[in-house]
Amino acid sequence: MAEKVGVEGDRDVKVPNLNPSSITSGEQTVWADVSPLLESACKDLQDGELVHGENFNLFAAMSALEIMDPKMDSGIVCRYYSVDEAIENGAAPVPLSFDKTIDVQCTIDIMDHLLACEATWHKGHSLAQTVYSCIYLQRPDRTSSHALLHSYCRVIRATCNSVVSVVSETRTHEEEDLFTMAYGLPLKGDGDEKNLSMLHAVEETISRQLRACKAPSSKKRLVEDVEPLQTNLDLEEGYCKSLLCRLRFRKHFYHVLTCMRRPQGRGLELARKHIASCLLELDSILKSAEFLGSNNACETSLDGIEGRTTASGRQPIGFDSTLNNRLAAPTPPRAIKILSWKKAVEYFQKLLHDLDIICSYSLDPLFEGVLRFVVEFQKFQPDLVARAHLQLLLLQEGKLYGRDPVFAMICKAAVLPEVTKSHDIQKNESVVQLVQLVISLLRILCTNAAWQRRKLGKIVQDWRVIYLQLELAFRKEFGEISSTSIDENVCIKISKHILNWVEEQTYWIASRFLMLGFELELYSPCEYCMVYWYIYVVLIKLAEKTHLKMLTSNEIAKRKGKKKRESLKDAARDYQIPPVVLLLQCQIYLAEGLTMMLAALRNEHKVFQSLGPFNTEHERFIQHFEFLQRACIPDHVSYLSFKESTNHARLSTIVVYNCFKDAQRIAKELRSSFSNDRDRMVELRQIEQVAEHNGVALNLVCRLGTLDPSLKVYFEFSHHPYFATAVVKRS
Amino acid sequence: METTTDEEREAKIVELEAAAASEIEYVSYGGEHHLPLIMNLVDQELSEPYSIFTYRYFVYLWPQLSFLAFHKGKCVGTVVCKMGEHRNTFRGYIAMLVVLKPYRGRGIATELVTRSIKVMMESGCEEVTLEAEVTNKGALALYGRLGFIRAKRLFRYYLNGVDAFRLKLLFPRPELHSPQLTRATGDESGWHKDSRQTEENPFLL
Ligand SMILES: CC(C)(COP(=O)(O)OP(=O)(O)OC[C@H]1O[C@@H](n2cnc3c(N)ncnc32)[C@H](O)[C@@H]1OP(=O)(O)O)[C@@H](O)C(=O)NCCC(=O)NCCS
Repeated sequence: MAEKVGVEGDRDVKVPNLNPSSITSGEQTVWADVSPLLESACKDLQDGELVHGENFNLFAAMSALEIMDPKMDSGIVCRYYSVDEAIENGAAPVPLSFDKTIDVQCTIDIMDHLLACEATWHKGHSLAQTVYSCIYLQRPDRTSSHALLHSYCRVIRATCNSVVSVVSETRTHEEEDLFTMAYGLPLKGDGDEKNLSMLHAVEETISRQLRACKAPSSKKRLVEDVEPLQTNLDLEEGYCKSLLCRLRFRKHFYHVLTCMRRPQGRGLELARKHIASCLLELDSILKSAEFLGSNNACETSLDGIEGRTTASGRQPIGFDSTLNNRLAAPTPPRAIKILSWKKAVEYFQKLLHDLDIICSYSLDPLFEGVLRFVVEFQKFQPDLVARAHLQLLLLQEGKLYGRDPVFAMICKAAVLPEVTKSHDIQKNESVVQLVQLVISLLRILCTNAAWQRRKLGKIVQDWRVIYLQLELAFRKEFGEISSTSIDENVCIKISKHILNWVEEQTYWIASRFLMLGFELELYSPCEYCMVYWYIYVVLIKLAEKTHLKMLTSNEIAKRKGKKKRESLKDAARDYQIPPVVLLLQCQIYLAEGLTMMLAALRNEHKVFQSLGPFNTEHERFIQHFEFLQRACIPDHVSYLSFKESTNHARLSTIVVYNCFKDAQRIAKELRSSFSNDRDRMVELRQIEQVAEHNGVALNLVCRLGTLDPSLKVYFEFSHHPYFATAVVKRS
Repeated sequence: METTTDEEREAKIVELEAAAASEIEYVSYGGEHHLPLIMNLVDQELSEPYSIFTYRYFVYLWPQLSFLAFHKGKCVGTVVCKMGEHRNTFRGYIAMLVVLKPYRGRGIATELVTRSIKVMMESGCEEVTLEAEVTNKGALALYGRLGFIRAKRLFRYYLNGVDAFRLKLLFPRPELHSPQLTRATGDESGWHKDSRQTEENPFLL
C-alpha cells in the first residue's frame, strides 16, 4: 500500500505536519510510508473527531481520498499494476492466436473495439481511458511481427495525433478539457509517418487473397502462390472483405484529416472524395456484422446485442481500461462506458457528414456569409472534432481561411471606401483590438452551444467597449486632420461606417445570445414574455444598423450607376427596403406578437406569471439580461420599459393590430427574393408557419377565452427553434 | 406545458403544506447523530459519490442551513447547504436535496429548501445557486416555482455525461443599481466536475 501511495503522485493523502506552510507537495517533499501513522491515528481518533491544522480545515478534508475506495482511489490496483505486468500475464499476446482463423477474428474484434473507443473519446472522455486502454497501442514495437495489427495500430496513433493537434491548435477544447490530455501516452510511435504505406501494403496483400479465393477453380492455378489469410477456406472471403473495409476506412479517414488541414482550404475538394469513400466503407463495415456475428458460436458478450463493442459480439483481447487510471485526469477514477459498436459507426457517419458540410463550403469572403454559415452549421449540433476543423478552416494564421486579412474583411463588410485597406487607420490601437475581437467572435461561434452562449455574454460587452474606444480614437485622429486635410470626407466616412458596423455586430451577438437560450432550454414559459420583448428591442436595433449599412452601400452603387446613366427604375429600387432587412422585420413582428400575446394572457387570464415566495419578475429580468444590461444593449432599455410596454396588453386590441398577420404577409412576399437561398427559404417557411398558427390561436383565445375557462394555452417549438407556436386546448 | 393558473397552484400548495405539516416534523441539523441519516438518504438518491468529509464540511460549518424531515421518527428528507463570499457576492449554495420516494410530491422538499433559503436571506445572502441535471424534471420544477432561473447550461457537467443547469435565485435588492459598463462576473464554478480550482469544489485535488 505504501508503494501505491507513492505512485499516486501529489494529490492524495495529506500529512499536515510534514510541511506546515503548505499542503501541496513540492521539491522538498519526501514520500513516506504512511501505513504505521494511519494505523496509530486510527486508534487515537474517536468517531466524529477530525484532525485540524492551520492548513487543514474541513474544506481541505473534503479533498482527502478514501484509500482503497474504488470510487475515489485512482491508485488502486485493479487487475494489473502496469502495462508490462499485463503483457507478462499474457493479456495482449502477439500473435493473438497460433490458429490463423482465430487470430484474424481477434484482430477484427480489436479493430472494432478501437473504433468504439475512438468515438467514446471524441464524445468527451479521456484518450487514456478509451483508445489507449488498448495494450497494443501502449507498446508500439511489440506488434511489429504482426503486419495487420501493427499497421492498424499505427494508423490509429497517427489519426489520434492529428485530431489532438487540430483540437489543441484551435483551442476549441477549452470547453471539453479532457480531450487533449495525452500526458504519458505514446501518441507517436517510430515510423508512424509511414503508416499509410504500411497500411497500403497490407491492404494489397489482403486484396490479393480475396481475389485468389474468389477465382473460379479453373483459374486457381494462376493465383496459387497466394497464401490465404487464414485456414478455413469457407470463411476466407468473408474475413478478407471484413478486413478490407476496416483498413480502407482507416486509410480514407486519415486522408480526410490530412486534406482538411491543408492551408487555405486547398484540400477540401479531395477531402470530400475521401469522405464519400469513408462512408461507403462504413456501410460495408456495418454489413460485415452479419458474417462476423454468425461465426461467433462460442460466446456472446454480456452487454447484450445493443451494448456490444464489436461486430462479432465477442469481447476483444488486449484492452484494460483500468491500466491508465492514474493518467486519466485530475478527477477521481470513474468507470466509463464505451459506446457500442453500432453507436460508434453512427457517430463516425455523423462526423463525416458534418465534415462534408465544412468541405462543401464556398469560403465566402463576406463576413455575414461566414456568420450565417457557422450558425447554420451549428444547427446540426456537430461534435468537438467537426467544430475544431471548422475553426481551423476559418482562421489560419490570423487570417480568414488563412487567406484574407481580417481588416480587409472588415472593410468589405462595413462597406468602407476602397482606400481604407491601405489607410494608416489599421495601425490604430483600437482598430487592432477590433480585429482581435472579430477573431475571438469567430472562435466562440465554433464552440458548443452552452459554452458559446456564456462567452457571447461576455464578448458582447467587449464589443460595446470597443465601440466607445473607436469613437474616441476617431475623434482624436480625424479631428486633427479635418482642420487641414482634404481627407476629411473620407475619414468621416470611414469612422461612421466602422462604428455603424460595430454596432450592427454587437446587436447580432446580443440576438444570438438571447436565441441560444431557447436552444439550451434556459427559459421557462413564464419568462418567454420578457425574453421575446428583449429579442424584439434588440432586433429593431439590428435591423436599423443593417439598413443603414445597406443604404450606404446602395449609395456607392448608385454613384457608380450614375456614371453609367442607369435608368429611373434603379432609383425606385433604392427606396425599397432590402430583403435582408425585411427578413429581420418578419422576426421583429413575430417577437412583438409573442410578447403581446403572452402579456395579454398574463394580464387577463392570470397565466404565465412568475410569482415566487422570495423574489419577483424584476429579479428574473435582471438575471437573464445582466450581460446586456451592463453593456447598455440597447440604450435606455430596462425592466421599467418592459413593464410599460406590456402592462396594458389586451387580447382585444392585439387581435386588431395583429403582428402575426404582418409577419406572414412579408414572409410570403420575400420568397421570391430568396429563391436561391435554401437556408433562408427554410427560415421563411418556418416564420410563416409560426405566424399562421399563432394568428389562429390568438383569435381563438380572444373569442372563446373568457367564455370557456377550461381553455388552456401552452407553447411549443414545433415549427421554429426560437419562435414558439401557441397551442390552445380544452383541458 | 400545462398552465394551471397561479391561484390554483397557490391553493394547492397551502393544502399540501397543511397535510404535510400535520405529520412531518422539520428539524435543523442537530449534531453528529444526524450525519448517518443524511448520508444514508443522499447515498440512496444522488448519483455522485461523496465521502464523509464532504458531509462534515457542510454540516459543521453551516449547521443552521441543513434541515431534516422526519415522519414518525423516520428521516425521510434532507437538505444540505453552504454560504460564503464568491467573487464579491455573498451567496448561498444548495448542495444536496433529497426526499425518499414514497414521500415525494407532498411538499416536503419545498419546505426543506424554503427553510434553508430563508436563513440564507436573513444572513445577508444576495443570491442562492445550485446545479441540477437537465433531465431532473422534478427538481427543476420545484426550484422554478421558488423563483430560480436557469442561468446557464453546463456542458456534460456530470460524470455520467449529462448536462446541468446552473440555477440562480436573486433576492430583491433595496436599491437596484443602474446598469453600468462593467464586465459581468461570469462564474463557472461548481463542484462536481469542472473548476478544480474553485473554492466550491469538495473534490479539490
Ligand atoms: C427533487 C425532490 C427533492 C422533490 O421532492 P418532493 O418532496 O417530492 O418535492 P415537493 O413535493 O416539494 O414538490 C414541489 C413541486 O416540485 C415539482 N415536482 C416535484 N417532483 C416532481 C416531478 N417528479 N415531476 C414534476 N414536478 C415535480 C412540482 O411542481 C411540485 O409541486 P406540485 O406537487 O404542486 O406539482 C425529490 O424528487 C428527490 O429526492 N429526487 C431525487 C434527488 C434529487 O434529484 N435532488 C435534487 C438535486 S438538485
